[in-house]
Amino acid sequence: MAMDVIDYEIFGAEMQFVEVELDPGEAAIGEAGAMMYMQDNIQMDTVFGDGSQQTGGFMGKLLGAGKRLLTGESLFTTVFHNEGSSKRRVAFAAPYPGKIVPIQLTDIGGTLICQKDSFLCAAKGVSLGIAFQKKIGTGLFGGEGFIMQKLDGDGMAFIHAGGTLHEKVLAPGETIRVDTGCVVAFQPSVDFDIKYVGKIKSAIFGGEGLFFATLSGPGKVWLQSLPLSRLANRIIMSAPAAGGRSADQSSLLGAGVLGGILGSSDD
Amino acid sequence: MTDSVFTGRLFGPGIAGAGVAAGATWELTGGIRITPLDPGIGILNAEQPSVTSGGFNAGGLRIAWQNGDASWVFIVDAGEEQARCKATAPSQISEQFNGITREQNRLERRFKTGGALLSFVILLPLVLIALFLVNRDRIASWVIQRIPVAHEVRLGDMVLAQSRLQMKILDSGPDVDAIRNIGKRLTTGSAHTYRWFVAERSDLNAFAAPGGVVVVFRGLLNSVASSEELAGVLAHEVAHAELRHSLQGMVKNLGLRAAVSMAFGDFSDSVFTDGATRLTELRFSRDAEREADAEGLRLLVAARISPEGMLRFYERLASEKRGSPPALLSTHPASGERLDWLRNEVTKFSGPWQPLQVDPGKGTN
Repeated sequence: MAMDVIDYEIFGAEMQFVEVELDPGEAAIGEAGAMMYMQDNIQMDTVFGDGSQQTGGFMGKLLGAGKRLLTGESLFTTVFHNEGSSKRRVAFAAPYPGKIVPIQLTDIGGTLICQKDSFLCAAKGVSLGIAFQKKIGTGLFGGEGFIMQKLDGDGMAFIHAGGTLHEKVLAPGETIRVDTGCVVAFQPSVDFDIKYVGKIKSAIFGGEGLFFATLSGPGKVWLQSLPLSRLANRIIMSAPAAGGRSADQSSLLGAGVLGGILGSSDD
Repeated sequence: MTDSVFTGRLFGPGIAGAGVAAGATWELTGGIRITPLDPGIGILNAEQPSVTSGGFNAGGLRIAWQNGDASWVFIVDAGEEQARCKATAPSQISEQFNGITREQNRLERRFKTGGALLSFVILLPLVLIALFLVNRDRIASWVIQRIPVAHEVRLGDMVLAQSRLQMKILDSGPDVDAIRNIGKRLTTGSAHTYRWFVAERSDLNAFAAPGGVVVVFRGLLNSVASSEELAGVLAHEVAHAELRHSLQGMVKNLGLRAAVSMAFGDFSDSVFTDGATRLTELRFSRDAEREADAEGLRLLVAARISPEGMLRFYERLASEKRGSPPALLSTHPASGERLDWLRNEVTKFSGPWQPLQVDPGKGTN
C-alpha cells in the first residue's frame, strides 16, 4: 500500500480548514461534503468504501462501506486526485467550531483509534476501519459509544473535534480522568476505561455524571474541550424558538444565578 | 535468532510520547532484551519484566519493568508479533500469559453476550409479531370461543333487524312451525336458543346469524321435495351457527380487535352494529362450508334423521341450475368433490331413521 505524502496548511483560529497540497499524481481522501475548494486539474472521484483497498472484490468493498455507515459516515468517500503536472491544492473545512489536528500515523505506530465522525481527511491509502469498544461498561458510560473509528496506514490523517483539541502524552502507568465525551482519539496502547466518580453526592450534584472516562498510558491521547452535543445543548437551551430562555445572561443577576444553579446539567 | 524477535513500541523516560518502534527477544532467564530501531537509543535489558494485558479493549500485551524510578513499557504489536512473543516466552513468563488469555476471553465473552442480548431485545418485537401472524387463526378461534352467548344473541338480533329492512321476515305461521319442529330435533342440547324465521324471498337460500337465528327463504322452502331435504339444509345452517363461523368471518373482516373487545367486555354498540353490517354481506370460506357439511351430517345422524335428504338436495341443486347456481351454493359451489365426499359419508350411516311428520312448503302457498 503506497501512501502519498502530503503537505498541508491549517487556516483559521476556531473554525478551521486545512489546505492540502498534492504533488502530481498524489491523492487525498475526504469525508463526503468536507471539501471547501480545490484548484484546477484536481479530479474528484467518488468511490464506494474508503478507497484504500486496491483489490478485494465487490463483497470486500460492500463490507467496508457498511462499516462506514456504522461510524456515522456516508457510504462513499471522495478521492481528490491531482491530474495536473504541477502542485495543486484542495481544502477541507471543519463542519463545526473546533480544531483540526494533523496526525502522522507513522509516528504513533500506524494505528489511531478515534471518535466516530471525527475523521476529516487523509492521504489516499489510509484505511478507515471500525473498532468496537468491547468493554461493555466503557461502551455504555464512556461517552463514545460502542463504535469507534480506526485509522490504519502510514500517511497523514486529519481529525477534527469541537472546542480546543489538546494533545496529551501519558507516561507508562500514568492515568487521567476525563469527562465523558471529551475523548477524541488515542493510541491503541492507551487503556480506555471508566471509573465511578466515587461519592453519591458528587455523582448526583457534581454535574459530571456517574462516571469518568479514564485513560491510562503509555501513549498519546487527544481531548476536546467542547463536544458538539454540549454546544448544541447550550444553543438549544437559549434559543427562544426551541423554548429556551431568550433573556440575556446579564439582564437579571438573580435569574442568571438561579438559572445556573437550577438549570439542568448540560450532558 | 531472528525468528524469536517480536516487534512493538517502547515507551519510557527520554522517549517521545508516542513511543518508538523496537524489536525484542526473551532471555532464557525470564528477562527481555529490547533493541530500538533508532540507533540513538541504546539496547535495553530488563531482568524481571511483568506481562499484563492493556491498551484498547485490553487487546495488547504490555511488558513493563522498573529501572530505578523510571518505568518502562514495551507494547507488543498486534497479530503475529503477539503470537511469536507468547510462543518464545520462557517458562517463568508463560505462566503469566494464561491469566492474560483468561482475561481477554472474559472480555470477549461479555462483549458477545452483550451483543447477543442487544440483538435479542431488538429482534424480540419482530419475532413476536411474526409469531402472532403465523398463529393468527389459532388466536382468532381462541378469542371466538370466549365471546359470551349473550353477545352472540345481540349480534344475531341486529343482523335480523337489518335483514328485516331488506325483506319481509315471518316469525310465525305454519312454515315457521314446520321448520321449528325439524330444527328442535337437530338442536337438542345446544347452548344456543334457536329462533326460526321464513323470509318472503324467492331466492333459493338460507342463512344462519350468530346466536341461533336461522332464516330460510321461501324459494328454498318451495324447492325442497321432502322434510328430510329441508332437514339437511337446516342441519348445515345450524352447524354454521354452532361452529361460530359467522364470528370467524367477522374477525377476518373487522380484525381481531373487534372480537377481543366483544370477548373481554370492553365493547361499545358501534362494535356490534359494525359487526352486524359486515355479517349481512359475509361469505363463508370453503373450509367453513366443508366443516358445516360434516357437522350438519353429524347433527342429522344424532337426531336420527336420514342424511339421504341432504345428499339428494345437494345433487338436485348441482344438476338443476348449472348455468346460474342458486345463492345457497353460488359462493361455495357444490363441486363434484364436495358431492362425492357427501355421498361417501352418507353410506357410512345406516338407519333406522325416524321419519319426519311435518310436510314443509305446503303451508301458506
